[in-house]
Amino acid sequence: MFEKLELVLLNSDRLVYLDSNKFQITHSMKKILIIEDDLLISSLVQFRLNKDGYQTIVVKDGNEGIEAINTKDPDLIITDVMMPFRSGIEIIHYARKNKPDVPVIVLSSLGEEEEVVLEAFNLGVVDFVPKPFNPNELAIRVRRVLK
Amino acid sequence: MIKIHIFLVGLIVFGLSANAQESKNAFPDSLSFQKELVRQGELSGLEYRISIDISTIPDSLQTDSAFLFSKSGQVWVSKTYSDWSQSEKLISSLSIYTPELEYLVFGKKADFTGAETYFQTLIAAGDVVLGAETEKSGDDLVLMASRDSYQPISEGQFGLFLDNKFFWVFVITLFFLVTAGGMIVFMLIFKNKRNQRDEQIKAYEGMIAGPLTSLLFEKDLEQINAMTIGDMNEIFPIEYLKKPLFNEVMINLLIGLNKKMKGDFKVKLKSFYKKAGLVEVTLANLKSGDWDKVATGLVQVNEMDLVELLPEVKKHSNSSNFPVRSQAGATLLNLSEKMDLGFLVNQTYPISEWQQMTYFRIIKFVHSSKELEIDQLFSSENQSVRAFGIKLVRMLGRVDLLQNMRDIIPIATEEEKLELLRAYQALGVHTEVDFINQSMKSPILSIQEEAIQVAGALGNKASVEIIEELLKKDPDFNLKKLLLKSLFQLDKDEFEVFVKANEEADIQAIRAHILDPILQNV
Repeated sequence: MFEKLELVLLNSDRLVYLDSNKFQITHSMKKILIIEDDLLISSLVQFRLNKDGYQTIVVKDGNEGIEAINTKDPDLIITDVMMPFRSGIEIIHYARKNKPDVPVIVLSSLGEEEEVVLEAFNLGVVDFVPKPFNPNELAIRVRRVLK
Repeated sequence: MIKIHIFLVGLIVFGLSANAQESKNAFPDSLSFQKELVRQGELSGLEYRISIDISTIPDSLQTDSAFLFSKSGQVWVSKTYSDWSQSEKLISSLSIYTPELEYLVFGKKADFTGAETYFQTLIAAGDVVLGAETEKSGDDLVLMASRDSYQPISEGQFGLFLDNKFFWVFVITLFFLVTAGGMIVFMLIFKNKRNQRDEQIKAYEGMIAGPLTSLLFEKDLEQINAMTIGDMNEIFPIEYLKKPLFNEVMINLLIGLNKKMKGDFKVKLKSFYKKAGLVEVTLANLKSGDWDKVATGLVQVNEMDLVELLPEVKKHSNSSNFPVRSQAGATLLNLSEKMDLGFLVNQTYPISEWQQMTYFRIIKFVHSSKELEIDQLFSSENQSVRAFGIKLVRMLGRVDLLQNMRDIIPIATEEEKLELLRAYQALGVHTEVDFINQSMKSPILSIQEEAIQVAGALGNKASVEIIEELLKKDPDFNLKKLLLKSLFQLDKDEFEVFVKANEEADIQAIRAHILDPILQNV
């Protein structure tokens, strides 16, 4: 897609890709780790965030999530709560302890359960997006967090 | 000892053919036996002599003084020898006359088998000890084999199966093994098929997720609505759309996503569902003879708002299958343009409490936006439907339907009367006090108790009189407590008068309980 593009560096965190037909403004390639066991949800979130110019890494369970936090060095973590092997709460614990500067957004259908929301916020998550959700709304929240 | 020997001779001479088998075991052939006889030398009770056919001896020899054989019938017999080697030497010297060896057991003639059996008996009795290991020559076995044609002994090889116990043990064991084997094979086949199906589902999910995501983000609702079959086939090849499993996976993904998405994505998903031809799959499910498929179809209609299939859904609203009936009812309430309770009116099966709760949740959620004709429920012949109608009046506060409720009092069952009393109390319907007072006199305890409680809030002077009349009949403690509580609520003075006039301990205890401010709301 970007083979014939001219890359222009505007400032430290934004790049502009130009071609003969259109141009697209993207963020500097911030890395977002998506930990979600639902294939379609992760696909939708990934598609939407890629569209905004983010680099995304998708993993499908808690164990892979922990590994990715260590090896992929993400700028933001989006995690589900109910997942195989390790819950989203365990992921948040781990991220707070080992990567305290990386913000975490929780995306969960347990949004109506007050205890889960409170625990997540107490652990230091920056946002909680309850399912059902709108990917566009999530993208706005991501943009705000990474600004 | 002599007696024993005589007995043994009898056994041997008169046919110990059964023992022949045993002797064969000790001496496999005659040569082995004869070698053993040489080794033993003289044996007590066993002697040998030579016999020659009379015709084979020339006359010159018969007249010779050195010829010591004596005539016995048609044969010449030698003197007896107690040592086998002596008789063997004589046989060798007369070999041209074809002499024959004869065994004598205690003086009586015996054949080879009889002599051998006697020898075995001596061994068994410990009178003789075998000199050395017998050597198998097998010579005469070979000779015998060459004379007789071989016949395999097959008769009786399945004789074991004629034993009843063995037969049943064998049959049960065989049955167990065959069943266990069959189950293992079935399990392996089933597991293999399930694994294949799971893998296929994963593959289909992977095939669907990407294109569906692109479609939802890159096409707006109008574009999806305008999609043709050709456009759809560009995204999902037609050969896949014809596969039932592919359609099933796609439907499940769409329903799952529909639950987790909000905004225009939901509308797009529903539009895509129709464009992908999945409505036909749902219709086929609704028309299926399997109740689980019908229930699945009903869920699909409900989740994807397939209002065009509501007539088909209505056919299942009085199904004999509980899950199907419940799901059909919920779907009709959820999707029908005008919240139509008509399907309940003709319901022949009683509505369970679980069904009532499900229907009420839907009605409560959507009734503000849809017209709700509860009054038609009172015309149902199904008493549980009428009772549900009364509950709806109470919970939705539909005081405009009080007259309709009054009309069913003459035919009301116990459950309906209880619901009517609860509805009147909840809605504060003082105008129905006659019904309440009448119910206080009901012979049915549950109705009476409910009516007494309601009378406390809605009763009149007549209610007070009825309560006092009931108290005079000295009811049980619980009913007495309810009556005094209602009396206290209706007329405190009358209550005090009654309590003072009746000094029974239980009445005083109830009074203390009613007047205790801490227990007022207990």
